[in-house]
Amino acid sequence: MQIVEIILSPLLAVIIGIFFLGLSRKIMARIQWRYGPPITQPFIDLIRLFSQRSVSHGHLFNFGIILSVAGSLMVVLFIPFGQMHPMSGSGGLLVILYIMLLAPLGLALSGGEAANPNTSIGISRQLILALGYEVPLLLVLLAVMTHYQTISIVQIVSEQQSTGWALFSSPLFVSGIAYFLIIPAILGMRPFEIIQAPQEISSGPMVEYGGPFLALATIQHALNIFIGLALFVNLFLSGAGNPLIFFLKMLIVFVLGLIINAVYPRLRIEQAVQYLWRWPTLVALIGLVVVMVVR
Amino acid sequence: MNPGLLLVSAFGGALLTYLFGKISSRLRDGFSVLVSLALVVMIGFLFNKSGTESIYFNFLGLPLILRINMLSWFFAAAVSALGALSVIFSLSYMKDQERTDFYYLMLLLANTSMLGIVFSGDLVSFFIFWEIMSWSTFLLISYNRGNALAAGMKYIIMSLIGSVCMLFGILYLYAAYGTLNITTLAAMMSAASSGRFLFLLILFGIAFAIKNAVMPLHTWLPDAYTEAPSPFTAVLSGMLTRMGIYGFLLIMYVIVGATHSLSTGSGWITYHHILSWLGAVTIVIPTFIAMLQNDAKKLLAWHGIGQGGYMILGISFGTNLALAGGIFHTLNHAIYIVLLFMSVAAVEYRTGGERDLNSLGGLIKKMPVAFLGGLLGICGLIGMPLTNGFVSKWLIYKTLILEGSPFLAFAALIGTWGTVLSVYKFLHNLFLGQLPEKYKDIKRSPFSMQLPIVILSFTILLFGVLPGIPLRVINAIGVSFGFKSLSVNLYGIATETGALNTINLFAAILVFYAIVWFVLRVSPRFTSVSQEDTYAAGAGIPRDKYHFTVDFYNPLYRMIKPYLKDYVDIFYTKLAGWTQNVCGNVRRVYTGFVGHYILYIVLFLAVLIFIQIKWSLW
Repeated sequence: MQIVEIILSPLLAVIIGIFFLGLSRKIMARIQWRYGPPITQPFIDLIRLFSQRSVSHGHLFNFGIILSVAGSLMVVLFIPFGQMHPMSGSGGLLVILYIMLLAPLGLALSGGEAANPNTSIGISRQLILALGYEVPLLLVLLAVMTHYQTISIVQIVSEQQSTGWALFSSPLFVSGIAYFLIIPAILGMRPFEIIQAPQEISSGPMVEYGGPFLALATIQHALNIFIGLALFVNLFLSGAGNPLIFFLKMLIVFVLGLIINAVYPRLRIEQAVQYLWRWPTLVALIGLVVVMVVR
Repeated sequence: MNPGLLLVSAFGGALLTYLFGKISSRLRDGFSVLVSLALVVMIGFLFNKSGTESIYFNFLGLPLILRINMLSWFFAAAVSALGALSVIFSLSYMKDQERTDFYYLMLLLANTSMLGIVFSGDLVSFFIFWEIMSWSTFLLISYNRGNALAAGMKYIIMSLIGSVCMLFGILYLYAAYGTLNITTLAAMMSAASSGRFLFLLILFGIAFAIKNAVMPLHTWLPDAYTEAPSPFTAVLSGMLTRMGIYGFLLIMYVIVGATHSLSTGSGWITYHHILSWLGAVTIVIPTFIAMLQNDAKKLLAWHGIGQGGYMILGISFGTNLALAGGIFHTLNHAIYIVLLFMSVAAVEYRTGGERDLNSLGGLIKKMPVAFLGGLLGICGLIGMPLTNGFVSKWLIYKTLILEGSPFLAFAALIGTWGTVLSVYKFLHNLFLGQLPEKYKDIKRSPFSMQLPIVILSFTILLFGVLPGIPLRVINAIGVSFGFKSLSVNLYGIATETGALNTINLFAAILVFYAIVWFVLRVSPRFTSVSQEDTYAAGAGIPRDKYHFTVDFYNPLYRMIKPYLKDYVDIFYTKLAGWTQNVCGNVRRVYTGFVGHYILYIVLFLAVLIFIQIKWSLW
């Protein structure tokens, strides 16, 4: 059974992530009164990319991108997906937090060897943005862990299934809002698509990738979307009894976030950090204090 | 085999190395490596021994005692192993320098004195070895002259302030109990009043906090690390600074005892709270200051301070989990910071002393081994899963969260993110990006530099995947302090509130890496291209190399720079300047004329007589 889950959950995560990529393009287009590409477009692109030839800049260039996709796939194993959580017993939420580092670091290493100034600028932005949203995110996660007195994400989910959603429970409500505020930054959606910013730095970290490399980078992005949403669903919406309900919860959160943020133009990096360190951090801090007081 | 013989051979080896240097430099090099390796082997034989021995009976009427137990063995093993690697690294680094005999003498002496500190069984010999360590360090920090003299002066002044505090504490203990034997003291102390505990903990705490560079007492460290010769910086950052942690363990858990040392104080103002908050501040501020540095060694030096905060957090919590985390982090930090300094030193050696992060770059293809060291070093420093730093940090975070200190945990976790930013800048600006034209023909590092780097890189992975190897020893230390034993196994740690299993992590990442690699392998072939063959959206990258390094995180710098001045250092510098002024003014009184001195005496007597007539005090 565990073997099936280990094979199935990363596969589902990739498919769902890519579906969200297609969906976001479609919704974005409709909001902007365009027709937009079909939802299956990212799948078609991936197949095409995997059949194209490309260039490499060296061993670290290959190593980094593989590491980042492998790291993201590994995170999926630790996050409960419905009732599937094949590896969550090996260290809990703290391990998830740390394995989530592999993906950006892998991309950064890979991009670093590409020796393209645009890549370096993109990576510098990526790391700054990560520091930006990590401040409220950590506060939120600490509030959740302190409230439930555990570092195990499975236990957090099962506690919610007996006591109700954390988002609507009195001490964690504020933290839930803070997490929702930073979801676009975590997923790299509007108005936080600063890292790639095609018009400014020609796709930043992606600029040197082509063919299979670009396909892997896209898969990594898709997995990143899956992870960001799955964490929210698990921590605040009590996970789900089966993968289908879980998927529906993710879908609602994603579409809600997308619709709210689609109308904003892209922020500059310092504006993004200022925003993240002001409102979401303040809300998250209040949330943590509330949890501490209630305890 | 016993510690006395070990220390005698270490001292003798250091002196003989100096003498051999006068005969031939090759003989000296060979002998110094031999001595340091012999020490490693000898300490290996001392594993799991315990006992005490008197070496000298009548020093001011006090016996000098050496003792060995798990705690001292653990620190001694780390000191001797890292010391040996650094001696090997010095071979080619110091080849063309002058005064090398002196350098080796002092390097070996510093190592010996650290061994002496951890094997001391009484506080007098502890203090003597502590002073030998401080002075040999001072001489090595100022080895390069110039700026190094100022750095060394800063170090020795702060170190002396610490020593005075410690000496005061030792004298107080002697006056109160009449003995300085650590074991006897520990037994006698348990009945003491809490005021006495507080007094001792503060006095010794200042001394050890200065050595360990805890936040308001950290200012000696950045300059000292930067200015010292790089192989010695490795020793300094690895174990020498962490003698402060050993000292804290000694005073808090051995002499005073865990229950007393943590509960001393009242309400929220206890020793435990103050120490842990100092630890948290020490993590956050230096880590963010590190981001602003442009000198590779200075960047690492600030991280040296920051990582010290994690150890302080670990040992200030006093649960078996946190203590294990704190001690383990001391070892892990030593391994990766030594590796990082060696990696910088290797670059420095080949580029002619260049370590400015804004003018290097792209060295990965030229110096792959130094790059490997840098990569694994920063992974350990961040605490990436499957490197050693992860396990110790996991232990510390877990304690902080479960003991209900989320704000401390937040400080520790956000420190990690600050670390990610600054160490990526470090790695990128040295090894990644574009290679400047002038380093086109740079050579690889010599073998004596590659060997320590490879060994340390391997150790980082080994302790990351199989943390049980050192954790068993650390667990024995915790048990000797009177804590409950942890259930440690080879690949992690099991507790009632969730386990850590590094083998699972390792297997998962390996399998996924293999799968993704296979996907890349079966897709169409890629061709390798040079660094000039990049896409710039039609803009064209200039023919001369174009490397994005200066102000790597510029938008962030502009936001945080005003908040990150080292105000403590500015304050101390002002204080020093003010003291100098006052002393300068006082000196003017001493004119050198006998007539003036007689005048002072007469005036002084006149004042006394006046006071007596007016108020008749005597």
